Amino acid sequence: MANFLAQFQTIKNASDRLVISVEDVSDLWPTVKPAFEGRLPFKRATLNNKTRNPVFVDTLPAEFILTTDSRLRSRFPQEQFLFWFREPYATVVLVTCEDLDEFKTILKPRLKLIVQNEEREWFVVFVSKAHPANDQANKMAKKVYAKLEVEFNTKKRERCCKYDMHFPEANFWEDLESKIMECIRNTLDRRVQFYEDEIRKLSEQRLMPVWNFCNFFILKESLAFMFEMAHLHDDALREYDELELCYLETVNMTGKQRDFGGADHGDDQATLLNPINKPLTQMVQEDTFREFEFRQYLFACQSKLLFKLNRPIEAATRGYSFIISFSKSLSLHERILPFCMREVWVATACMSLIKATTSNYTDGDVAPDIEKEFFRLLGDLYSLARVKFLRLAYLIGYGTDIERSPVNSASLSLLPWPKPAVWPSVPADSSVEVLEKEKLILQTTSRTKHFGIQRKPLPLEPTVLLREANRRRASLSAGNVSEMFDSRQGPMDGSGFDASTRMSPHKAPPNSMTRTNSSPGNFDSSIDRPMRLAEIFIAAEHALKQTISSPELWRSLSSSEEFEKKYLELTKGAADNYHRSWWKRHGVVLDGEIAAVAFKHGNFDRAAESYEKVCALYAGEGWQDLLAEVLPNLAECQKMINDQAGYLLSCVRLLSLDEGLFLTKERQAFQSEVIRLAHSEMKDPIHLDVSSLITFSGNPGPPLELCDRDPGILSVTVWSGFPDDITLNSITLTLNATYNTDDGVKALKSSTPIVLHAGRNTITLDLPPQKPGSYVLGVLTGQIGDLRFRSHSFSKVGPADSDDFMSYEKPAKPILKVFKPRALVDLDAAVSSALLINEHQWVGILVRPVKYSLKAAVLHIDTGPGLEIKESHVIEMESYAGVSQNKDDQLQNDCAQLNSDKNFERLTLNDGKIEFPNWASDNPSILWVLVRAISDTLSRGSSSATTRRESIVDGMRTIALKLEFGAFHNQIFERTLAVHFTDPFYVRTRVTDKCNDGTLLLQIILHSEVKATLTVYDAWLDLQDGFVHTGQTEGRANSSFFPLVISPTSKAGILFSICLDKTNAEEARKQPESILNIKYGISGSRTIGAHPPVMNESTGVDDARQELIFRSAITLQRPVLDPCLAVGFLPLPSDGLRVGQLVKMQWRVERLKDLDDEGVSKHNDELLYEVKANSGNWMIAGRKRGYASLSTEQGARIIISVLCMPLVAGYVRPPLLGLPDVDEANISCKPAGPHLVCVLPPPLSSSFCIPVNS
Amino acid sequence: MIVCVAVVGHQNNPLYIQSFTEADDALKLHHIVHCSLDVVDERVNNPKRSGPMLNETFLGLLYPIENYKVYGYLTNTKVKFILVTTDLDVKDADVRNFFRRFHAAYVDAVSNPFHVPGKKITSKTFAERVSTIVKSFGFSSAG
Repeated sequence: MANFLAQFQTIKNASDRLVISVEDVSDLWPTVKPAFEGRLPFKRATLNNKTRNPVFVDTLPAEFILTTDSRLRSRFPQEQFLFWFREPYATVVLVTCEDLDEFKTILKPRLKLIVQNEEREWFVVFVSKAHPANDQANKMAKKVYAKLEVEFNTKKRERCCKYDMHFPEANFWEDLESKIMECIRNTLDRRVQFYEDEIRKLSEQRLMPVWNFCNFFILKESLAFMFEMAHLHDDALREYDELELCYLETVNMTGKQRDFGGADHGDDQATLLNPINKPLTQMVQEDTFREFEFRQYLFACQSKLLFKLNRPIEAATRGYSFIISFSKSLSLHERILPFCMREVWVATACMSLIKATTSNYTDGDVAPDIEKEFFRLLGDLYSLARVKFLRLAYLIGYGTDIERSPVNSASLSLLPWPKPAVWPSVPADSSVEVLEKEKLILQTTSRTKHFGIQRKPLPLEPTVLLREANRRRASLSAGNVSEMFDSRQGPMDGSGFDASTRMSPHKAPPNSMTRTNSSPGNFDSSIDRPMRLAEIFIAAEHALKQTISSPELWRSLSSSEEFEKKYLELTKGAADNYHRSWWKRHGVVLDGEIAAVAFKHGNFDRAAESYEKVCALYAGEGWQDLLAEVLPNLAECQKMINDQAGYLLSCVRLLSLDEGLFLTKERQAFQSEVIRLAHSEMKDPIHLDVSSLITFSGNPGPPLELCDRDPGILSVTVWSGFPDDITLNSITLTLNATYNTDDGVKALKSSTPIVLHAGRNTITLDLPPQKPGSYVLGVLTGQIGDLRFRSHSFSKVGPADSDDFMSYEKPAKPILKVFKPRALVDLDAAVSSALLINEHQWVGILVRPVKYSLKAAVLHIDTGPGLEIKESHVIEMESYAGVSQNKDDQLQNDCAQLNSDKNFERLTLNDGKIEFPNWASDNPSILWVLVRAISDTLSRGSSSATTRRESIVDGMRTIALKLEFGAFHNQIFERTLAVHFTDPFYVRTRVTDKCNDGTLLLQIILHSEVKATLTVYDAWLDLQDGFVHTGQTEGRANSSFFPLVISPTSKAGILFSICLDKTNAEEARKQPESILNIKYGISGSRTIGAHPPVMNESTGVDDARQELIFRSAITLQRPVLDPCLAVGFLPLPSDGLRVGQLVKMQWRVERLKDLDDEGVSKHNDELLYEVKANSGNWMIAGRKRGYASLSTEQGARIIISVLCMPLVAGYVRPPLLGLPDVDEANISCKPAGPHLVCVLPPPLSSSFCIPVNS
Repeated sequence: MIVCVAVVGHQNNPLYIQSFTEADDALKLHHIVHCSLDVVDERVNNPKRSGPMLNETFLGLLYPIENYKVYGYLTNTKVKFILVTTDLDVKDADVRNFFRRFHAAYVDAVSNPFHVPGKKITSKTFAERVSTIVKSFGFSSAG
């Protein structure tokens, strides 16, 4: 059956649609043909697929062929059977008849004969030629057609339809099509069944030796082809898939060595999309097909169907895996294939697949994710083609044009060299080419990296090509490889071009030379001598010329420029497609490759743009090693296009990469670039973000704590990533308030240049007073030359961690806390009790710092009126360990006591200022200031009868204090202290007794006013005029009582006996008051209150008895002896007082003695009286005030009567009689008026009860 | 032969990358690992297409490149393990086993209280353990 292969192919090529045969019984075909063919191709066909499920076919092409046509007639029955798919699927019998007899006699037998072949699916089309106007003819035609129906229609199936030539019925065509379809469907089903049976039969024999794949193939493909003709592409595809599976099984199963194929010219071009590229007969081998061609053929058939099914994406998917798996097969047979066949094939296959799928693909047809997958596949295909192309280019010496980037290295160095049986050798007549190539190699200088970065170039080759090629040459023994290196060693040194450099500089240069000299024998013989690199390239070029049949591909490899063009095309294709897929990284990385080419051609703008994308990708995900490879390129581009900002940023980024990625020298180069640019004149000021390079943090430990209004010095740790010292012209650091965003940012400036060393630095910044709150570090900005940089990166404790720059962690830790305003210090009087007035007394000022240092604090003391400070005297300061107010203080005080046991220091007052000593900065202390309160007024004693009229203001003096403290004397505390001064004693007098002889005993009571023990040494009384001392004491108390000790706040009394004396007006004017003099001493502590006054420095400490004088004025009044007038209240009526009842109040005034000549009243006999009464209680009738005449003689008396009426009941004060003109001392009330009188309620009044009508 | 293993953090940042080639060409392996993240991303972001793989940590073969293979593994914390091998005939079970052991080593390494999560793994013990696992790769009997 394999012999039919050629025929099969021919038939297959010839037939491309279903055939419907036309049995033209009545020569009608030429007439109806146009109308019939106008229905083609059929629309809306419904066919059954292999599983007998109805499938809707949009268009079904078919062809009407007359049975008399040569194409149908010339077939042998056997052929018909084998190639059944091309046989007619339906037979249309065209008849016409206008006469019943004719029908019966001629037509009917003929038709019966035609349709007796049961194999055929047929139906009859009766064509009526009758004109519509011709009723007769129409009737006849109807009759004949009716007969026809009776004859040929069966119950199951109608096989007749009628066609009016002149006036076709409306549903005729539908009817016709459905009949044709029915036939086709039936035929198809039958044939499918047939083929399936045959295939099954063959399959059963598969393991038998008679098995012939070709036969199986013909059957299977016939079936597939039939499906394809019927537009059942899905089924056709399935058949091909099964065929492929079966084929692969056959290939893998048999251990027989078969010819792989692919050795023909032109086989290098993949034909995976062109099934008719090679006739099947050419790939047949014994009972099966050559793998190389046949697999491509199968794939071509599949892809054709896929495109017909509008599934280009699936074609791409299948194609990619086909290419991969086929490439594997090619590598298995590489030894027998032409040199680099595999690479060439894969490259061309990818390109053609890309072309075919993209041309069959329309945008937006499918879901976005499927579309993305498609682009990904295209990208994969492009990059696969690219890799293969690069490999080919490398082999013929374009290696220098290939960027040694990670992507190229990853693709090429993991890709093994081609493994031909024998490496191609140099053609005999190519010495000129070799020389030229060599020259070219010598000329190429490897591109040095920017900034003088020395980096070992990445390999593009899996192993050293030189060694590999020579090893694969049959004639060469592998031993003397090193010999070929030294011949190339010199010029290639450091060029980085080929792997030979790997071996050259270090390993064996000198001695290999000697070895060469020792065995030069085989060096000249051109065959056995190892090939040099140039020779390898030339040999490969020639071999490839043989392999590559595509002129386009060859042209791409023909020159460096063409190579680059193709390289760009492939790279761009891959990158663009990857960008449209999920695989962004692939796309971006390939962009970098495009950038490299652009860079090479000086298109720096474009290169920079692409490099930036690559860098952003790597930086964004922290792939520093890869970034370190690309970033210098970007920097160089930016330098070229004079993008200073970008260039600087790149330099900074280079510096901020892991230190291990660059040598110190290289890093220094980066830095010097930054500094060079910073100090060069820049057109526009550049702002640079150096967050990754200069990081800063607060010092570890608690934050700096400041009180409100305090300036401070903030110390910040700055990490410099620069390899060398760098001078910052100025820096500014902002602080952000944590809980208050409105005016949160404060900038601290330092305009002095700061030199940052590599690594950790501590810088200090002056901190002006800040608002209360807590602050965190914000942004560090500054200037290097003209360059303004900013950093917002916070390092923790270590150096800037390389991973950190991805996540800008905000420092949670505040660096500065400014407290709300509070009392920082307290100034108070140390002693609350009074001090001695007019004496030098220590005033204690208690200075109590409230958790705040008073270091170098200055106290201004300003005394108020009546107080003077003894300037010359020192001021004493001592630490205070008083009773604490709370536990904290207690603790603090305890500590203070432990640490500094009672500090004491003398200070001097300068311009009213005192500077505090250091020890007083943290602990409470007392400042003793020597003051003297001045009071001119003499202290005045008072009578014991009157209450003491105390005036606090008298002894009060104020001291205005102003304390300047804080680090910059910025804190000011002001307070005015009130200090109370007093005399030591308060004196009261009392006449205790009046003796008969006129001697008065004057008791003087001394109240101690101070909290100190007073000792009275002496006391005497200087009496005023009118009084004299009795006895010989001269007013001095008995000395035996002295010294009299008076405890604090206690009293003592001294008795003086005095008597009255004549008064002398002149004397009285001189001394209107008596003076009590007391000589006393005081012993007290200044910490409690009054204390001995300080006389001067020399005697201050001396505890000698200090005698002080206290003077107090006492007013003595001559006693009043005789009252002039006596006033008596006459008794009230006995029946009591009633409200509303008039009552007569009577007072009797009697003159007790004659008025003195200096008497009160000029009107001798007239006496002014006044009655005072509460008007609410009393109603007074008559004159309240008036003159009553009273004789001036002793014994004269009058009665003053006033009519009154009480207004309220109860005990009320009666009206009082006053005599305003007479001194109260001269009035004697005998008897004294009652204090209260009882007033009864008014009697019941009968007048209220009188009837109205009486 | 395993040429490279890598641990990649959930932000796609490299946490640990170790190549086992003799040549000084780690950079290309960095590139391969980095690019393979595209595939991992794609699988993770398109759960529809990865289908039954959704709940599995082992991502399987990421790259059907003809000269090397890249396998992936994704932990619950979105840390990725990548394996690059030039061995073209690798059993899936071996790779699974490898990743399981690698994962265990990783968990031990990051459980170190001195390790900062999200930072590069610098532990020498981890490196030694990984190289042991890599060396024993392929001997599937090894637990």
